[in-house]
Amino acid sequence: MKTISLPKTLTFAVALALSGCAKSYLVLLEDHDGSTGKVIFSDAGSETVVEQAGFGAALDNSKTVFKVEQEKINKDFGRALASEPVLPETFLLYFETGGTKLTADSAALIPKIIEAAGKHPAADISVIGHTDTVGDASKNEKLANERAVQVSKLFDAGKMDVKEVAVTSHGEKNLLIKTGDETSEPRNRRVEVTIR
Amino acid sequence: MKRLFACCSLGLALCIPNAVSADETVIGYIKTINDQTTIDESNGPIKASLGSPIHVGNVIKTDQNGAAGVTLKDNTILSIGPNTEFKIEAYQFEPQQDKLQLNASLLKGTLHYISGVIAKLKPEAVTVKTPTGVIAVRGTRFLVKVEE
Repeated sequence: MKTISLPKTLTFAVALALSGCAKSYLVLLEDHDGSTGKVIFSDAGSETVVEQAGFGAALDNSKTVFKVEQEKINKDFGRALASEPVLPETFLLYFETGGTKLTADSAALIPKIIEAAGKHPAADISVIGHTDTVGDASKNEKLANERAVQVSKLFDAGKMDVKEVAVTSHGEKNLLIKTGDETSEPRNRRVEVTIR
Repeated sequence: MKRLFACCSLGLALCIPNAVSADETVIGYIKTINDQTTIDESNGPIKASLGSPIHVGNVIKTDQNGAAGVTLKDNTILSIGPNTEFKIEAYQFEPQQDKLQLNASLLKGTLHYISGVIAKLKPEAVTVKTPTGVIAVRGTRFLVKVEE
């Protein structure tokens, strides 16, 4: 029992000493969706990879990875964490074929989108219009733009805190569902609204 | 004549900031802010406020009470704590043209980073430089502190 606990204590002490020394360091966190990626710190010649949430690395060539206690995270990064903006939200609105009429389901979604926009201080909104592949490409470019322009009118800068509404048309070039030409596909007739 | 002169000088005053500024494209906005935060524009520092636009080359600075959060066009989220200097070195977000790039530098202080679309589409296009090295991300969220 003692033979196991001794190295453990030692490792802990070393880790503590190292993390205590690291003045400049990074910490990997779990993403808001529950996934964890990785960060790689490199300086001349050496590379340190951190792949576990809650672990950090010193910004030097020691190549040590250590656990960072929540208390230390709060102490060092509390203000930066508290300043995190509201996460961007994306909505898809779908259209009846060949025009700018929203499907019934999508029309019902409008109040929710407007409510969401109100929750983003200094909101900047991008509205991207798309069509399916029915009709020729240049007409679809125009139709997608008309769809996007129509949706963009929902966001009245006079009534809400909106900094910018950017309207773009992707025509039939950015299909959500890949189809051949001249294919009616309801899921491609859409406008994508991102509220940042 | 006097009026003409006034017009001319007004025109000049309006022109200068535009001529000096390298890139006017807005790449994001200040979304959260408290206390003293400034943005170094090419024509000098300005006091930042909620909704201040961010451009390539800007250095966002906070004093000992400052903190701020920025959301970029590709949904990258950056928030900084007190005594921080953070610079956007390069930014391109045109997925249709495959132009994707985000290079930033944390000169001092603390940064909280949440990756956006650029890191998803082209992870190698995102770097955060520090005085001692470079941080690369593989679709993630992290904190970094640079002590002088």
